[in-house]
Amino acid sequence: MTTTSWIRCPALAVLLLTAWPAAGDGVRDPTALDVSIVRFDPGIPADSSLHRELQVFPRIREIEAKLLPFVLRETLVESGEWGAVRVVPEADPAAELLVSGVILRSDGDVLDVAIRALDASGRIWIDGPFSVVAGEDGPEGEDRTGEQAFRQLYEDVAGALLEKRNGLDDKTLRTIADLSLLRYAAELAPSAFGDYFEAAEDGRFELRRLPASDDPMLQRIDRIRHTEYVITDTVDAKYRELNTAIDRTYRVWRSYRRKFVEYQAQNAARAARKVDAPRGSYEALKAQYDTYKWDRITAQEQYKAAAAFDTEVGPTVDAMEVRVAELEAWVDARYLEWRRLLEALFEVETRQEPGDSDIADIAEQIEQLPEHTLPETR
Amino acid sequence: MRVEDEMPVDFGGNWERDYSRGDDVDAVLREVYRQLARANQDQRYAGVPAAVAAPQPKAMSSILPLARLAELITRPDVLYITQDEYRIRVDRKDDYSLECTFFGGVARATDSDYGLEVCGWDGDELVSNLVLPDGLEITYRFAISDDAKALRIVTTLESPTSRLPFTLRRFYRKFEYAPGDFNCIETLSMKRVCSTTEIEP
Repeated sequence: MTTTSWIRCPALAVLLLTAWPAAGDGVRDPTALDVSIVRFDPGIPADSSLHRELQVFPRIREIEAKLLPFVLRETLVESGEWGAVRVVPEADPAAELLVSGVILRSDGDVLDVAIRALDASGRIWIDGPFSVVAGEDGPEGEDRTGEQAFRQLYEDVAGALLEKRNGLDDKTLRTIADLSLLRYAAELAPSAFGDYFEAAEDGRFELRRLPASDDPMLQRIDRIRHTEYVITDTVDAKYRELNTAIDRTYRVWRSYRRKFVEYQAQNAARAARKVDAPRGSYEALKAQYDTYKWDRITAQEQYKAAAAFDTEVGPTVDAMEVRVAELEAWVDARYLEWRRLLEALFEVETRQEPGDSDIADIAEQIEQLPEHTLPETR
Repeated sequence: MRVEDEMPVDFGGNWERDYSRGDDVDAVLREVYRQLARANQDQRYAGVPAAVAAPQPKAMSSILPLARLAELITRPDVLYITQDEYRIRVDRKDDYSLECTFFGGVARATDSDYGLEVCGWDGDELVSNLVLPDGLEITYRFAISDDAKALRIVTTLESPTSRLPFTLRRFYRKFEYAPGDFNCIETLSMKRVCSTTEIEP
């Protein structure tokens, strides 16, 4: 492979060959790990015949799977305890701290989410369900109805993460950050970075050694990672826009869900009431029929509300999905290119007698290269 | 009850009651009265004409509640039926919508503490059957005319407290909505939104 043949993407070549500040040049608080919150699993049962029974509205669950991580993100950001907190569409195994979730139940009354948090060393921070029931008495007469109650769940998750982090010393936290960068680097350039750490069978990662702080290859990796972060932040901003755009309607939906839960309770109370009429009389038959009728009307009105919600926010969600998919596709395509170029570069740099003409070639091309540009933001 | 992979009949459309056809509740009750009288006669007074015999008062009084309820639940004079490849829904004023949903060609029952509703095809007839906890059973049979302009619904109510079921037939004519000047959509936060132009939520 010649030097010129692998410089197929001039913009990327600039990215790879320009000198960038070494990772860690700035003073970083080791405790402020970056957090990636992956879009939640909507937890929709595969058996669609169960949706009605379990009160699962698939389309709304999918929207919730995009919205709920955002609320967790806001909670973590507001705590001021963390580095960059991002909502990402796909799990990044090399994230310093990766948080994922599965929605187990979400209605106007109950929110159950299984949360798992894993750091770059493979250490599990939390792995279990978090639940909140609206309307339960909160401490000190706190308002535990409506959105305020659900907010508690995110604060519980944030609290659990913080408690875990506070139990780790600075050295461990630094190692997590180092492993995160090295695992990312090894994904891109396995030949160069594959032996800096070891993967154990139990899924944990051990740091063997660290590259020099001025390692040019690591500087390039760091630069690539930051470029990817720019895209990730753009995706994250899209989630924020989505949240802003549909938050009001989603709150209306939640309030509807609470109403439906109330109606269901009323239906149950009606069914439990003893009818003061002889068995087989018109009054007794009608009472039976009415009980069934109101239960069905409650369920059917809920479905109509779900359809109206989708009509209202569906186009916004779809537009965001398209844009996020474009950004993801851009990253995926560049990622392959970055990986190929870095491997080739490593090969050139570790050659016993690197060809000076190759370097000159690259330098000449660099002079003629345009500025590196990111995909247009819409 | 047969369940088909494809819907054999399309009931979709708007239907209004055809009052020129169908059963009169009083007439059906008179017929039930005669049936009960005949049965009573057969058992007790062999040889006496049914016309002069009377049914047992208890038997007659137990069917009256079924007749009243049948009249009540078949009262809606307009039905809106939507049908796609998986589901048929019959919207009725002041009542819940009858729904028949098929998953993988199999009709799914609606089961709750308050009743069990099953549906399916019996030839070209759509049958919906509801059983309530105390044994009250309501069956609707939907059939459409060959020209697809008339709909017949036969509603039968049965109860363990009544010796005979009570059945009412209702007929409906198809009608078309005149296209309006407004395009409307149902939204959650703003309810129904209408415009003279194309609506984008």
